[in-house]
Amino acid sequence: MLSIENLSVVIRRPGRQVAALNDITFAVRPGEVVGLVGESGGGKSMVARAIVGLLPDGSHATGRVVFDDADVLGMDEVALAAHRGRGVAICFQNPRGALSPTRTVGRQLVDRLVTHQNMPVDRAREAARELFEAVGIRSPQRRLDAYPHELSGGMAQRVMISLATGCAPGLLIADEPTTGLDVTLTREILRQFRHAADTDGRGVLLISHDLASIAEVCDRVVVLYAGTVVESGPAAQVLREPAHPYTRALLRSVPDVGGRPVVATAGAMPLLTRAPQNCPFVARCGHADDTCAARRPTTEPLAGGPDGWSLACFHPQAGPIGAEPEPVRAIPAADPAVGPQAKSTVLEIDDAHVVYRSRFGSGGHHALRGVSLRVAAGETLGVVGESGCGKSTLAKLVMGLVSPTSGAVTVAGHSLVRQPGRAHLRGRALRQARTRAQLVFQDPIGSLSPRRTVADSIAEPLRAAGLSAAERAARVAAVLDRMELDRSILQRYPHELSGGQAQRVGIARALVGEPDLIVFDEPTSALDVTVQAQILTVISEVTADKDRAAVFISHDLATVRGFADRVVVLYLGRIVEEGPVDVVFDHPRHPYTMALLASAPRLGGGTGAGGDAVELVKDLEEADATTGCPLAARCPFVTDTCRTQQQHLQPYGASRAACWRAPELAALTGKQATTP
Amino acid sequence: MRILRFVVRRLLQLIPVLLGVVVLTFLLVRVLPGDPVRTILGQNATEADAAAARARFGLDQPLWRQFLDYLRGLVTGDFGTSIQSGGSVGAEMALRVGPTLELVVIAVTIALVAATVLGVWSARRANRPGDHGIRVLALIGNSVPDFWLGLVLVLVGYSVLGWFPAPSGRVDPDTNLTPLTGADLIDAVLTGNGPAIASAAAYLVLPVLTLVVGVVAPLLRSVRASALEVLRSEPYAAAEAHGLPRRTLLYGYLLRATLVRLPSLAALVFGTAIGSTVLVEYVYSWQGFGQWALRGLLYRDYPVVQASVLMIALCYVVVFLVADVVHAILDPRVRI
Repeated sequence: MLSIENLSVVIRRPGRQVAALNDITFAVRPGEVVGLVGESGGGKSMVARAIVGLLPDGSHATGRVVFDDADVLGMDEVALAAHRGRGVAICFQNPRGALSPTRTVGRQLVDRLVTHQNMPVDRAREAARELFEAVGIRSPQRRLDAYPHELSGGMAQRVMISLATGCAPGLLIADEPTTGLDVTLTREILRQFRHAADTDGRGVLLISHDLASIAEVCDRVVVLYAGTVVESGPAAQVLREPAHPYTRALLRSVPDVGGRPVVATAGAMPLLTRAPQNCPFVARCGHADDTCAARRPTTEPLAGGPDGWSLACFHPQAGPIGAEPEPVRAIPAADPAVGPQAKSTVLEIDDAHVVYRSRFGSGGHHALRGVSLRVAAGETLGVVGESGCGKSTLAKLVMGLVSPTSGAVTVAGHSLVRQPGRAHLRGRALRQARTRAQLVFQDPIGSLSPRRTVADSIAEPLRAAGLSAAERAARVAAVLDRMELDRSILQRYPHELSGGQAQRVGIARALVGEPDLIVFDEPTSALDVTVQAQILTVISEVTADKDRAAVFISHDLATVRGFADRVVVLYLGRIVEEGPVDVVFDHPRHPYTMALLASAPRLGGGTGAGGDAVELVKDLEEADATTGCPLAARCPFVTDTCRTQQQHLQPYGASRAACWRAPELAALTGKQATTP
Repeated sequence: MRILRFVVRRLLQLIPVLLGVVVLTFLLVRVLPGDPVRTILGQNATEADAAAARARFGLDQPLWRQFLDYLRGLVTGDFGTSIQSGGSVGAEMALRVGPTLELVVIAVTIALVAATVLGVWSARRANRPGDHGIRVLALIGNSVPDFWLGLVLVLVGYSVLGWFPAPSGRVDPDTNLTPLTGADLIDAVLTGNGPAIASAAAYLVLPVLTLVVGVVAPLLRSVRASALEVLRSEPYAAAEAHGLPRRTLLYGYLLRATLVRLPSLAALVFGTAIGSTVLVEYVYSWQGFGQWALRGLLYRDYPVVQASVLMIALCYVVVFLVADVVHAILDPRVRI
């Protein structure tokens, strides 16, 4: 259906030239899901743009993009208008940003139906309701009149999918459809695309930087690096035994819930100005030799591989990844032998509640409902949960940015905000106390002031502490070395930094004041996979400091497993399970933890020790916690007791879980109920 | 329903604001140099005459007493007696507000429509000759002083072409229009007076045009900027990539998103237009509110100044309230 032949795109702008795509060839057949993977900057989005004929200004394309026997590159305006939507429809990366904010989502879908399926408006509205239902939107009639800002991330992505399928396209392109979604939603959304291919016979092109998470639903994958196809083949085989060193590096840099160490690949993707004469991966490749540096490998079928597996490499690898002792640094798994109990307590939270009151009148959002935590010096605590579970509120609470409605929070012996019934510091003493806890933010570039140089940003906590200029410079230099950043970066501004550099600067800023506690709030979720691996290496090194405590917040279970000592699972503002990281991940006790682990992508397709897939039956937003266990509405093991009785943390072996059925669950997971 | 509650709440907030205005203007006019009694009595009046006049207008009372009397009057709807004319300020103002509001409302409405149409058209042809032409014209219009433009329009429209009536008054007296609201066009429509409608409309053309040219530029610039922003935004690109037809794109995805930011600016422009009418009214002998307020200020006619400032403040607050409501209707993300 879609066949891209020798597509090259060069973007010429005054003063610079970028070879965005070089000699790309691949095809998508009807009913097939093809994954297009690679780091950002690899040209994935450019391929999508070329397919719909929306290349940026100043770009010059050669080759052919054949869709249903017509070359998209040669189409005129009229042909393009028909091709867009009806021929190819894109699901955009950021669904909430790509939906028009001033039009109800129902109207937006009706627009597409009327345009492409020639329906009258009233029929289209009926069809829109059915489409909403088909993509798993509950109470679709009501959602038709919702505006995009009233939808959650997952819901917006479903609407986006319905918009794209509503155009009745032959080919559906999904650009990073699951970025920013948590594990349970990711699976659900990806299943929607598989569904579109299976039932409607559409071709689907899934674009992602995360090979592991999309591989499950793909028939074939195409790996892009620096605008070239380095490997393509059947998804299952490529995922299990990738042959190209880049594919292997890509997979190895993804943390795995199974506890396999992350291996960071040093360096970054080159920005090509012309079509490469050598292997573009040569600088970062562990197997590179002179041939790689001199000639560009041609794309050839893999010897002895299954049909359609081809790659461009002089040194194809074999065997499952992780088996060979690869070079570069591996993150050491946290050493459980270090007993943190003996150390002094740095962070102590005692039965903290946080309620965000609405601006007028009564009501409000109960973000945390009775959380108690203790983190000792030298210990790293992982906090996981779906989005909306109160993770970020917990971070703010620790940092003293919100005050608890009831309960107490102490950092290094001080309370940082006004708390009910407790003395709190003021003025200079408060500022001093606040420097003891530091935060590393989710958005690395956005959390640096755009008008300050890196040097100013890093030295900021020191200036607050009143250090002299010379002392500041020395401390900044020291922390810069530790982050492996070059001195020349000091005079740069945030927009001149890459995501990885910016996050290193963010960590440096948190570290420079030698705080007792560092809170990492999803520090890697905005980064590319290979950069993610590099940052995780840095973080694991920082959290290994003996006299410092760390809290690592993430919706990605695998990253937490890498170096946390203990892990806490949050659900709707409550801790549902906590314990040593290996115990919780290998023997989860709470059904919610089991479900999280089950939906986490796993290389090689094996399931974890947690047992067979436990699946939650509904979306988070539809579960209301009134009485009883907050998970009751979604839990497959729910009984009447769960609906009426509040659950409290109870010790089960080395960990604690808030579920009274925990002991019997192991037996139940095999024959789990399908209806709530 | 929520909007209604919002309006009621804002109207309640209006009370302290207006009270503040009342106190401030009362004090300010009395702090200003100049004596209203001297200006009406002329050069040859004796001290005794002046004292008598002061007693007549209650100006010999202590300040707090005057203020209480003024407040008591306001509550009963009595704005006091004009020192200059000796007439009731409330009655004089009622005659004057209608014509000016008619002028400003029509002018700002036309300016808004023109700015929207031209701004969107301009944005869709960004950096092409048509776009540049419109922007230069708007800039010129904005740079020309109102009174001068008014004079030029009178010269061209009345003296040279003879298409429009002479710049004196608001309606032809021969049409025997019965004044109701003071806004002549509305009165003419209400009384069904055909000739008066035509006459009032003809008289309106030149002053309205003068005001429109003066205020359209900032509106146009704002519409063009937000339309460009929408055109380059992700939602619009997404709608375009899904192959929606141009009409749907324009009305469904561009227009409303573009107009979201306009109401607050329009409210500001409305305020400016009320200010600009003083000169325009002079040029066209409009006998409106601006002229009346200005004369009151020049003669230190305390009750007139107080009443006119209160009136303008009320206009501002109401217009901003309307702008907020319109904004909330246009932008679903706004919570009110």
